[in-house]
Amino acid sequence: MLEHVYLIPLIPLFASLVILLGFKEDPHSPAPYLGLAAMGWCLLQAVSIFWGVAGGRIVLPYEASINWFPLATEVAGKAFSYQMPIGVLIDGPAAVMLVVVTLVSFLVQLYSLGYMHGDSRFRRYYAFLSFFTASMLGLVVSNNLLVTFMCWELVGVSSYLLIGFWFEKPGPAYASKKAFMTTKLGDCGLYLALLFIFTKVGSFQIDQVREFATRGYFGMGAATAIGFGLLCGCAGKSAQWPLFIWLPDAMEGPTPVSALIHAATMVAAGIYLIAKTYFIFLAAPIAMEAVAWIGLITAFLAASMALVSYDIKRVLAFSTVSQLGFMMCALGAGGYTAGLFHLTTHAFFKGLLFLGAGSVIHAVHTNDMRSMGGLSKKMPITFLTMLAATLAISGVWPFAGYFSKDMILESVYHHSPVMFYLLTAAALMTAFYMFRLISMTFLGPDRDHEKHHHAHESPLVMTVPLMVLGLLSVVAGAALAHDGFVERLLSFPMPQTPGPEFPRALGLGVSALVLCSLALSWFLYGRGDFSIAEAVKKRFSAVFNVLEGRYYFDQLFLGLVAVADGAAKLAFWIDARVIDQTFVDGWGLLMRVFSELSALFDGLFIDRTVDGFGGLSSDLGTGLRALVADGQVQEYLLYAAIAVSLATIFILSR
Amino acid sequence: MSNLHLLSPELALGGMALGLMVADLFVAAKHGRLLYHLGWLVSILALVMVGYTISNSAAGQGVGSLWAVDPMSQFFKMLILLTTVLCLLMGLEYKDLPPAHAGTFVCLLLFSAVGMMLLVSSVDLLLTFVALELISLTSFILAGFERRNHKSNEGSVKYFLFGAFSSAIMAYGISLFYGATGTTRLVGVGHDGGPMFLLGLLMILLGFCFKASIAPMHFWVPDAYEGAPTPVTAFLSLAPKIATLGAMVRLFTVLLPASAFNLTTLFVVLAAATMTVGNFTAFFQNNVKRLLAYSSIAQAGYILIGIASGNTIGTEGVLLYSFVYVAMNIGAFAVAQSVASRSDGAGAYDLEAFNGLARRSFGLALAMAFFLLSLSGIPPLAGFIGKFYIFSAAVQSGHMGLAVIAVINSVVSVYYYMRVVYHMFFKPAADETPLAVGPFLYGGLAIAMAGILAFGVYPEPLVASVQASAQYLP
Repeated sequence: MLEHVYLIPLIPLFASLVILLGFKEDPHSPAPYLGLAAMGWCLLQAVSIFWGVAGGRIVLPYEASINWFPLATEVAGKAFSYQMPIGVLIDGPAAVMLVVVTLVSFLVQLYSLGYMHGDSRFRRYYAFLSFFTASMLGLVVSNNLLVTFMCWELVGVSSYLLIGFWFEKPGPAYASKKAFMTTKLGDCGLYLALLFIFTKVGSFQIDQVREFATRGYFGMGAATAIGFGLLCGCAGKSAQWPLFIWLPDAMEGPTPVSALIHAATMVAAGIYLIAKTYFIFLAAPIAMEAVAWIGLITAFLAASMALVSYDIKRVLAFSTVSQLGFMMCALGAGGYTAGLFHLTTHAFFKGLLFLGAGSVIHAVHTNDMRSMGGLSKKMPITFLTMLAATLAISGVWPFAGYFSKDMILESVYHHSPVMFYLLTAAALMTAFYMFRLISMTFLGPDRDHEKHHHAHESPLVMTVPLMVLGLLSVVAGAALAHDGFVERLLSFPMPQTPGPEFPRALGLGVSALVLCSLALSWFLYGRGDFSIAEAVKKRFSAVFNVLEGRYYFDQLFLGLVAVADGAAKLAFWIDARVIDQTFVDGWGLLMRVFSELSALFDGLFIDRTVDGFGGLSSDLGTGLRALVADGQVQEYLLYAAIAVSLATIFILSR
Repeated sequence: MSNLHLLSPELALGGMALGLMVADLFVAAKHGRLLYHLGWLVSILALVMVGYTISNSAAGQGVGSLWAVDPMSQFFKMLILLTTVLCLLMGLEYKDLPPAHAGTFVCLLLFSAVGMMLLVSSVDLLLTFVALELISLTSFILAGFERRNHKSNEGSVKYFLFGAFSSAIMAYGISLFYGATGTTRLVGVGHDGGPMFLLGLLMILLGFCFKASIAPMHFWVPDAYEGAPTPVTAFLSLAPKIATLGAMVRLFTVLLPASAFNLTTLFVVLAAATMTVGNFTAFFQNNVKRLLAYSSIAQAGYILIGIASGNTIGTEGVLLYSFVYVAMNIGAFAVAQSVASRSDGAGAYDLEAFNGLARRSFGLALAMAFFLLSLSGIPPLAGFIGKFYIFSAAVQSGHMGLAVIAVINSVVSVYYYMRVVYHMFFKPAADETPLAVGPFLYGGLAIAMAGILAFGVYPEPLVASVQASAQYLP
């Protein structure tokens, strides 16, 4: 199986092309089943590889590649032709991610059979889903950073297509553009970092770059620059502060797509890339520390924003941002295993939460939690599975999230106790807002009788994925953590750093606090009486306003965009619009001063060209005024003459 | 003159262009299309002749008194001829060209191509100047070929005035160059690097910048491109630009390397300014033709990075990007033309005219999306490979700042290219009748599309031919 691992990204890619080109748009077309079959095959293959790894029959890492094209390269004064090998590199994280991505994608596609039933672009939806997953799988298996980057970009393009899937509405169209441009902004840094790596190493292959880095050839400065570039890209893709603004809007897409984006494909890419290029960060302690702090800030800010939102999907979106911050923080604090472990468990319960939210929305046709309530009896499967996911994400023993979150807190404590306390606060907020979501949605009395009356449990095709993910949310953590399996699978050799050991009592204390937080949340929201919560909100309305305004980061970015907009307008104006008289006069004066100073200019150049052209164009201009609008040609020529003069000054003044 | 045979493709093409002009007298206006067909067939014949000189390097290549025929020049000649063929195919489907002057049109286009072929082979400033003038004079007329169209005339006049200005600068530069070195020949120049020599070089460079639409000599571009008949716009945005950049590669990386006179900074500034001006100004364009005009300024800026870098990968990048640029830009213009040039006269180049193109003609919209994505450098299209080469060249030559500007620019460009895509796919169309697209336009589109897809996924053949072509003779 392992030697055919390259098929895993290629099969869904092929499937998406076949669906897009080979099928007609038709509610009964077999296109979805093709997508499902392709993903099912990939899932089988991924599971068999994972099983082999778990059983010790497969020894990792496995690498195979073919040459793509020769590239003339010059590294440290030595010229050679780089053959650009592209291929697969399967190590522990890749083996785990393959299972996660294929499984979540398979379940999402199954779920979509019910959720998207009757949509007029069913076929296109499945083609995009397959393409999205294929790009992500390509990113996971690639052994070449350039190909990783290409897949990374394709993930961005396909997320654009899927978030904006219902493009008739203004919300999705705007959200998809925002997501694409924000992540693209981050990609600037990533692209430059990769080019820089190539210039230093002369190779894009991950293992060669790793070799280069672990021997310390990069040097602190270069490694730091590269690290920050990579961080920039990953912060964009994984929605980290300050580039997290796109993810809460991205929920405008169909809910199963949100599940896929938030659980397995898009946002996981950033964390995964940091893990793949971990050796760079180990060589650059400053960049590593930045990763930790950015993760911490994100985890804290996003969790606080989730506290006050009433939109069920928005709460989950903030929650994803926050959880990604946990992973980022863990990676930055040296918790390689912890970060990737949480990525895995989070994929299960966050996928489940989004699919569950989709099931609720499907039933009551609203996103607003204030119109829900009391749905637990109407939708028992959705309720129970979402409850399991909530306990998992809150980190209650023995659910999956407990193990990974515990591991994160442990490694962060080892790195810096201050970070630990802040992160613990974020974890407590997580428990609070998640149970708030459950309480408002499922518990208490029904607040909208009509919606409640029409609500019903979703069909089996939607609840089966919920049950599968529910089961995994319960057992995955314990199963992977059993006997130190996860440490063997997701490990990275790194130097031991001195730091305080994590006291077991502290862990128990955190667990107790989480339970308290859950209880408080139930007390405030679970009894159908929000009066205390409202009173609190009134008392601290300033804080609530800031939180509901998402700390005004969107406004900040809109301001930045406005500045860029202004710059572009300025360029436009300078380039083509009416000339500013003072500017020209000023230039004329300056030119005269220069020509006084320099006999060369005076005689040879300025007078003849500028004056000559002034005369010529005014003569021609009178005759051609009918043809030439606004006399712009003269302006153009003047600009060009100024530029020529500037260049001349530049040349001669050296 | 025993080496005149080296120029046989150019001579043949020029001769046949004259023949077409004469034939125009004998072909009735209603059969004008025949001359277009003859025109592209003739270009293909010249293409074959150039191909022959590549495969038979002993007989077909060499150095003449004014020209050098080597793999480098032949690569650019093939590109120029390819562009000519594709533009003539576009011209076949363009409704607004006066049929009565088909022979003149084709003849001028072919003469322009001859000028460019001479330009990329030239190793003497005399030939360079004459070739540039040949390109310019034919281009002025071609840009104003729609004589009934006010904009076409306006663009042409602006183009002409600006052209006269830059010709004067260039001629002045050549005379300074001659004064400093005592020769117009560019091979084995005994230069002193003094102020007069540098000033001459600078002015020659600015003359080139005019043709390649490099800032600060780019002001004529939007007006001329918007006004010109679309096949001519496509031609002007590609062939002269590529030919000039080809000549610049020869002059400023091999014969008189920019780094030898500390001129690299100047090239870096020019490249950065060109990209930035092109991209930021394209931001607000609501006319697709103008948008593509500004985008083509930016693209010239990217290519110039390869020359500014001055290393092997930079030179290869110039060749590779030029090739890719031909495919994607001509594709974009071809789609724009088929949206706008309709026999009922209802088409327009406004962004609004592209609304709902996906519903009207899905194939066209998809092709346009691919061309635009390729222009903005999204993988796995060929534009990505091209940009990768260019950006790598900048980083490898140590111009980190230039690379940063270039990468940021490419992100900016995504925004306005995506605007067109957004209108095509996400806006409802005013009328949903499918567009009628002629077979020749489809043929051209198919070639361009195959190019950007195939070389994006499997660039090996293109890279191999580029590496083989990055060789000079003298």
